[in-house]
This record gives sequence, C-alpha cells and structure tokens, in this order.
Amino acid sequence: MSGVAGKAEDQAPPQDLSVSRRWFVNRMAWVSSAAAAGTLLSPRPAVSSPRGRGVGEEAFATTVRAQAQEDLTEATLSESMTMLRSGTVRPTDFVNAHVDRIERFDRFYQAFATRPSREDLLAQAERIPAGGVDAPLRGICLAPKDNFYTADLLTEGGSLVYEGFQPDYDGTAVALMRAAGGLVVGKAQMGNLAGGRARRYGTTIPTTRNAWAPNDERLSPAGSSSGTGAAVAARMAVAGIGTQTGGSVIGPGNAEGLTCIKPTFGRISLHGVIPLSYTRDHVGPMARDALDAAILLQVLAQPDAKDPRTLGLPPAPDYVLAATPFPGGSPAVRWPTRIGIWPGYLSGENERVVELRRRLIARLERTSSIDVVGEVTLPDQWDELTSAPLGGSHGDPTAFFIDELRRDVRNFADRLPRFLNGMLQSADTYVKVQQARNLLLHRMLTQLFNQCDVVLTTGTGPFDGTGLPAMCMPIGFDTDATTGREVPRGATLAAPPFGEERLFAVVAAYQAVTDFHTVRPADPE
Amino acid sequence: MPTDEELNTYIRTRYALVGVDISVLPVSDESAPMDQERLLANGRSILRQDAAAADFEIDPQFHLPVAHPAPFTAWTEE
Repeated sequence: MSGVAGKAEDQAPPQDLSVSRRWFVNRMAWVSSAAAAGTLLSPRPAVSSPRGRGVGEEAFATTVRAQAQEDLTEATLSESMTMLRSGTVRPTDFVNAHVDRIERFDRFYQAFATRPSREDLLAQAERIPAGGVDAPLRGICLAPKDNFYTADLLTEGGSLVYEGFQPDYDGTAVALMRAAGGLVVGKAQMGNLAGGRARRYGTTIPTTRNAWAPNDERLSPAGSSSGTGAAVAARMAVAGIGTQTGGSVIGPGNAEGLTCIKPTFGRISLHGVIPLSYTRDHVGPMARDALDAAILLQVLAQPDAKDPRTLGLPPAPDYVLAATPFPGGSPAVRWPTRIGIWPGYLSGENERVVELRRRLIARLERTSSIDVVGEVTLPDQWDELTSAPLGGSHGDPTAFFIDELRRDVRNFADRLPRFLNGMLQSADTYVKVQQARNLLLHRMLTQLFNQCDVVLTTGTGPFDGTGLPAMCMPIGFDTDATTGREVPRGATLAAPPFGEERLFAVVAAYQAVTDFHTVRPADPE
Repeated sequence: MPTDEELNTYIRTRYALVGVDISVLPVSDESAPMDQERLLANGRSILRQDAAAADFEIDPQFHLPVAHPAPFTAWTEE
C-alpha cells in the first residue's frame, strides 16, 4: 500500500460497517414472513425514517469534456449538471439534443416503448425552476423501464397483460426523479413482465437491439431492463432506472458497457412498479459511470410510507462522495477494502474474458487501500441453498396475477410457466424456501463476507435473493463469437448489506484510471 | 413414483380448480410462444423439485420468521 492508505483509514467508516448484520438478517426474515402473510404492502406511517441526504457539491463535474460540449447527448449526468448550472446550456437544449437523436436512431435501437412528444418535453423543461443541488436532475433526460407507473405515459410492462394500461399516478421512483427536475424522455422497452430480453408483446420476436450491434438482433441487449440499457449506451438518455429480481439490471448493464447498481433490498421504493416478487424486486440506477449512478441513487434512496420495505433503514449515506475519486491523482479507495474473488472467476471457455478479468484484478492490486485476498470459500451447503427449489421464488408472481391468469393465459406468452408455477408449490415448501433464504443470508454474512468486504462474482443470483447490493462496470472489449462485433465486457461486484459506498468507491477508483466506461458505440448505419 | 401422465392430470386439475384454462394454448407447437406440452413439462419439473424440497432439513429454531421484529418500531415509535 502507498502513503494514501493512511488517509483512507482516517475516513468515517462506510455504512456496511456501521449497520448491524444481525439486524439485517432479522429484517429479511420479517420480509419473508410479511410476504407470506400478505401484510408487506399495508400502508403505515413512517415516523422514524429520516429522509436521505441530498446530492452534494461533489456531484458537479469540475471539467466538461470537449466532446460533451459539442454533442450534449455525450455528456454524463455529472457533466450535464455542471453545464446546466453554469447557464451555458438550457434544459430545452438537452431535450432537443436527445429527441433529435431518438428520432434519428431509435428505429434501429427500438429502445423505447412509448415517448412524450417533443413539445410536451420542452414544455416540461421550461417549467423546471433552477434549483442547483435542490434540483440536481434539472433538465436531465431519463429512461425508466416500462414497469414504472407514469401518470402521463402508458405502462405496459412489455406484455399483453398490461397492454393499454394508463396509471393515474407516478411510481415513487419516477416521482422522485421528476421532483429533482428530471425528465422522462421515454419509457424503455423491457422483457415480458420483467423476464428475458425485450420482445414484441406476446411473441418471441426481439425488439430492442444491443447498442453495440444495432443492426444485428443476434447480439442480445440482455434483459429484462433491455431498453433502459440500450437507451443509455446509445446516448438517447443520460441515465435510467431498471428493476432486478434476477439479474435484470446488472445483466443489461454488462451487455451494454454501463455502470449500474442494484442497491440493498428496500433502499429504493417499489411503490408504483409492476411487481414480480415481494421479497426480491429491486430498483436499480443504470448509468455511464460510478458518479452518475451514485447521483441517481442519492435522489432515489428515500423512505416511502407507501412501501414499508423502505422504512426503518439507516439513512442513506453520501453515495456521491463515495463515488468521487479519492484523493485525486493516483487511484485509491476511500476505505481499506478487502476484495475476494469468486471460485472459478479466472477460468472459463472465453480466454479473452479471463484475460480481462486478470487485468482487472492486477489493476485493483495496484490500487491504494485495496487488498485482493484471493479466491473465497463459499458457505456451507452453497449449492443446495442457491439452486432450485430452495433458491427459487415460485409463488410470488402467481399470487399477484391470478385474475389475469384466469382471463387468458395466452397473454403471458413465453413467461406463462413462471406465473403458473406457484400453484404447484406446496405451503410447506414455501416455508422451507423462506427459511433456506434466511439461512443463506446468515451464512453469506458469516462465512463469505468474513473473508472480504467486496467480492468479484460471476452472477447475481444469491445476492438478488438475499437483498445484498451488487454493481457492474465495463472492464474491456472482446469480439463476440456470433456477430464478430467488438462488444464490452463487464465485471460484477457485490457487497454485504448497505455496502453501496464500498462498491462506488472501488468502481470510482478503477474508472479514475481506465476509460472503458467512456467508449461510445458507433451510430447505426 | 407418479408417472408423467399422472402428474399432467394433477396439474390440469389444479389449474382448473382455480379457474385457469390452459386448453386455449396449442397442444404442441414449437413456433408458438407457449404450448401445453412445454407448460406441462415445466409443471412436472416443479412438482418433482417440490417433492425433493421435503428432504431439506433445517433447525426449526433457526430464525423463525417472526411477526413483529424490530423494524416494526419504525411504525410505532417504540
């Protein structure tokens, strides 16, 4: 370690060290039991859940790249905030730049399910008061997935089940973005009821293209937050929000070369989101770099009386500060951090990907305050606790959608088994699934995160089921075997409960000395 | 052990009991988004997994899902 390490050790501890892990295990047990009892969404007043902090001054970029000044769609969220505050550009300039690009290219990308008119967006932009840190998203064009309720736009969930559905209110996450000055430039296409890549409703015909191969449907944008990922990568939106029940934010993030975070369960309200699972659904920011993702999470991480899962949590810490390179100059992480490596992470059929992972680890080893501790040992009974049937969640979507299932099962198309399976799972198995889930969480905290503070992992499944935070970032490029296109490859990192600051700090340190996150896919031809 | 045909009958009966009609799906059509054959195969798999879950042993005293743990204090000011 270099001399920077001493400064890192002087920092206030990150939240994953200040929150009782026993408390989190008990909380997740409550979520399981409340879900089974059907009481989880009962509205109750939030009397002791302080609001999260606002976006700090660190969110504003100190410099704006020349290419961002020349093409406003190239600007990151942080750069956009700086330009807007300086008054050199207006929110309407950003609106026009993004709508121009969407009108020119979305016929290739097919990232949006529905959009407001240019006139509507311009009118909204004109009404946003200048607010500085009080309206950090002022004029920012955002692309929420089409399972977030929007009072002014259809919300169809990529499915015939919701075709034509017009909510009469904004989901809490959308409302928070809009209250911060953000603009919904369009609702992004998604996999059918949050599963798989985006397709024409009720069919298996792909729609959204990967931004790195917009003319070739064979390169998947991944799912289910396909449209948000493609829109952000293709510079048709500055950032967006997806949802993740089983990899649906991190998967598209890695496929599109984005930086995304799925925070700890409950950190962002799920009120006004088409549900899939009471106990596994998460909202996750999808962005171009760690700072942009942190800004968005800072805005969204608020307690919501309409979603009890957000109540009683420790207040959101300063994510923006955590995602700010520390202390500048040479790469460093704000807190001394042990990074573990998942078994098998450095083996596999794709030698190029393995080589990129080796380079990532080598870079991390050269980063001040990081201690790469090597391959971790997985907790006892890992395979049994993480695979079907104990690692599943069959009953949840069945309970939500029974009326629609009675109406016409054909509307569920390829996703029908996922929604009918709950009827075939017995009550005693459901109880065992919940017990196994809590046992898995207990062991991940005591037998995995006793070895490290952050782990480089090959997938998010165990972290989705237990509500632990995960993040992705691009680490290089590789030739796709099917299409022959150069495509981004990403790394997935995970942490214990409320470890978002750790994740932001590690990713920010890596992105301070690499430029994979700034590479822009070529325009469609 | 129950045969595939016996499980198919069980699955169809379970769905019918709740009022879910799967006969509107094609019986077997790989080009369709879903057909009865694939749906029943998936259902049989779930049932057999469900039976396997019965073998999972867990200490009944381990973190019983409790009805009123600490987070409820956020609602009650306790």
